[in-house]
Amino acid sequence: MEKRKRRGRNNGGIEVNTMAILDTSGFNRDSHHRHDDSLAFLEAVRSASLLPDNGTPPTNTMREAIFQILKEETSLELIVGSYQLLNELDKRFPRVCLPKMEKPESCLPLTILNEVEEAWCPFSLGLDRDEETHKVSSGSIDPLGFHSLIQELVEMINQKSKALETKILRKMLLLHYLVSVLDADFVPRNNAFKEKMSWTLLRDSLLNMLLGSRKIIYKGLVKDCMSVLCDVISDLSDQSESTSDMDSMAPSSREISYNCTAAFALALPELKRSTCIYLEKLLRMMMELDTSRNMADVHGLTTRADGVRTRAAEIILDELAYNSDMISPFFQVFDDPWWKLKMIMQYFQKYIPKASVRTRRSKSPPVNDSTFEGVLKCFSNSSSTKNIIKKIGTEIAQLLLGHAFLAYLSVSAESSAEHVDGFEEIVKGSCLTEICKHIIAAFTSIRKEDKNTEILLFGKEAVFTAASILSTKS
Amino acid sequence: MDEPLDFEFEESSLVSPNVTKKKKKVIGLDDLLSDFYQVKSNIPKKESKRAKIQKSDESDDDDTREAELYDYVNKCQQQMNEISTDDQMPLWGLQVFGDQKAMPALSFPELRSCVLLQSFMGHEVNSLLELKTEEGEAFLEGLLVNGWLLKLVTDHGRVGKCIGAWTFDLMLYSPKEELRAAACEFWCSIILPKNQVDTIMFEMEWLPNHSELKRALEIYGFLLDSPNKSSSNMEIVDGDSDSAGPPQNIKSWIKYVSVCCQARTTRSVFSTSDVEDLITSVICLFLDRQLLGLSSALKDCLHSLTSFFSDDAFHSSCQKIAKSLSCRVPTDVNCLRSVESVAGLGARSKHLRSVLAFQFLVACFDDKLHDEEQILRSLISTNLKDKNCDLLKMYIHLVLAENWLFCNSLLKDKPIISEMWGACLRNCSCQITSTDLRSYASKVRSKASYLLQGITTR
Repeated sequence: MEKRKRRGRNNGGIEVNTMAILDTSGFNRDSHHRHDDSLAFLEAVRSASLLPDNGTPPTNTMREAIFQILKEETSLELIVGSYQLLNELDKRFPRVCLPKMEKPESCLPLTILNEVEEAWCPFSLGLDRDEETHKVSSGSIDPLGFHSLIQELVEMINQKSKALETKILRKMLLLHYLVSVLDADFVPRNNAFKEKMSWTLLRDSLLNMLLGSRKIIYKGLVKDCMSVLCDVISDLSDQSESTSDMDSMAPSSREISYNCTAAFALALPELKRSTCIYLEKLLRMMMELDTSRNMADVHGLTTRADGVRTRAAEIILDELAYNSDMISPFFQVFDDPWWKLKMIMQYFQKYIPKASVRTRRSKSPPVNDSTFEGVLKCFSNSSSTKNIIKKIGTEIAQLLLGHAFLAYLSVSAESSAEHVDGFEEIVKGSCLTEICKHIIAAFTSIRKEDKNTEILLFGKEAVFTAASILSTKS
Repeated sequence: MDEPLDFEFEESSLVSPNVTKKKKKVIGLDDLLSDFYQVKSNIPKKESKRAKIQKSDESDDDDTREAELYDYVNKCQQQMNEISTDDQMPLWGLQVFGDQKAMPALSFPELRSCVLLQSFMGHEVNSLLELKTEEGEAFLEGLLVNGWLLKLVTDHGRVGKCIGAWTFDLMLYSPKEELRAAACEFWCSIILPKNQVDTIMFEMEWLPNHSELKRALEIYGFLLDSPNKSSSNMEIVDGDSDSAGPPQNIKSWIKYVSVCCQARTTRSVFSTSDVEDLITSVICLFLDRQLLGLSSALKDCLHSLTSFFSDDAFHSSCQKIAKSLSCRVPTDVNCLRSVESVAGLGARSKHLRSVLAFQFLVACFDDKLHDEEQILRSLISTNLKDKNCDLLKMYIHLVLAENWLFCNSLLKDKPIISEMWGACLRNCSCQITSTDLRSYASKVRSKASYLLQGITTR
């Protein structure tokens, strides 16, 4: 028999047979059966596509069915199972992949990526126009759906109702999956962009298309991401004793979810934590996209069709300035040291009164506030410290200094070779002992200016760390 | 191979015309199944039709008679329902954790006198902070939660015994989410520094060993530690006692074990037999439904654990792990769950899965059969038409055998095995008719047909 025909038939056979497991038409099956069937379906896809060394990827219909399970099911086993399967499938059959490094430099920019043709994708991001027709048939998420998913999370976290437990878990896992899809698509494209300066690659990334969609308000999306992130992390720190969490849950669960409540209670804190991490990843990707886009702009690669967007970092900084309660939880999660340092520097640059004139008049050397050391020096004399405190408040100044120091400590332990995007000029010319001395001086000076308030605990910790590091160096 | 399979011929009278049209395309499992259910659902209809006819014939308006008929129809309906719900697979799940033991006290008086704090107390900067020795522990907690502690030990390149033991206990026993998560992060970062460029090797004054982890599991109430399948424990118990089930710290435990194995090249925390024991425990954790939400973490952990071994050690370790698991886990749906918990994505994972499935299969035959051919022969010789034949058992055997053979080169290397396996599957799909109403009959049949389809197209 001809090989090709056989193969085609074979694939079709797998799809028909596997999809048949889910088929409920023709007979009325109760929820137990549907549950069993869905589980059997997931296992069948797994064993057909993932277990064999040369497994074939599941067809688009099959992937869509798995995604549907993640989106709609209520049983923990199915939600977790479908989430894991989708991730495993994406890892095994990536949508975008870089070719092996041994390829010569001469290859055309477009062949850098092996884009898998017509692979299923949880997003439907075509042109806004033809989406209307497309949307009805597929269960994929459009930009609006993505934004409303995050909005729903904002609401659910604030309600803190126990009845929402399955729902919140499902929504969180859905978000995790969607962000991993964006990440797996964006990172190789962005790397290829940096190497080859080909904007089209990045322009066609899911993230860029999602953010560029006219259906969502970009600014609102960034703000909602931030508020989920901050709410979740403060919710987690509030939870002093998690056992009380389990007790307060009414044993009203239905029989199918026997000891499910315990399972939720065990899973939830970890899920919340990872939700923060995924959202941080999303925000960071947005900022990296902005950086690359800026670079493309400079090289004249973008066109008018690319539109204009406010930089994500700017929106975040505005939000933090407007809503200063967010500063502490936000920087607690926002852990990437380079970006953290850069953002805090930008915050200071934006809100520190331009001290350069003043310092020049007082005959001290001009202060360069684009380096971390420069910003710290602003706190060295009392008049500029007073000015800064007046502008941004004592507590915020302490928080920002502390977090910047924390980020600096990570950065100084890292080798700076991998970051080329103008990051290291922030830490240029500074050494650890100098920075530690400056930190102690800055907090001493803040304390002197504002005698009524004590130093924040976080500030004390920063000073303690600085002093301890200094004592080992001397 | 492309001839229609035998069971496609049977009961052609039941096959509706639109099905025969599709038939050429593929095997049509769905069609067979839907036929099967159609037949089932037709029965009550017929009954009610008959009832109506009788009613119109003898129009005596006999109320009692009508009621009788009603009852009869209802009974039929009920039976139908019973038949269809019978098929439901029993839920997997064992009570892996019993009552928690008392958590060790987390007070560390010696913490106040640790070098880190003491050296600071006399420091001139303390005039700014006004830190007192009594507040030492609380202050250290703050340092830990906000990540300063990690920076400090990174700078010093050394983790003192006191700090090490304190954070380790917080990770495994603290009831505060914030503290245990921070402590876990702290330990994972010391064991496996994120910054791989210049591997910082911390000088550790104290390194917890395997027995510390084992003790933690015991305190959490881990039950499956000893290889006896006490049947009373196997029942799924609704968590009515408050202390049943593991504490939240189990997450940190899982993560820490995983990280320790990943760091095997730089720091040897475990021995081979420790890891064998940990794999057994982790697979047991998969069997607790309360840990369902943590299965991603468990999967990662199992993956790290299986990567720990050297290649030659792995094969003998697999045997030991499988033996010890087959003594602890009953040979019901739970053994299927344990086999499936091994992801089977890499060569090692596949091997473990295969060995585990085979060992369970041996346990299914009460450890009497050890030879591959013998086991397959006994599977083939099972008379599925016998009314007393336990079809659920057969289903479990099928899935186990599939996992054993699939992740194994036996099918390629020994044609006899491959032949026998085919015969076994054909048996299951042919001896059970599509109208067999016994429980699990359709499960066995459709599983076998599905696997058969896979073999013929492979």
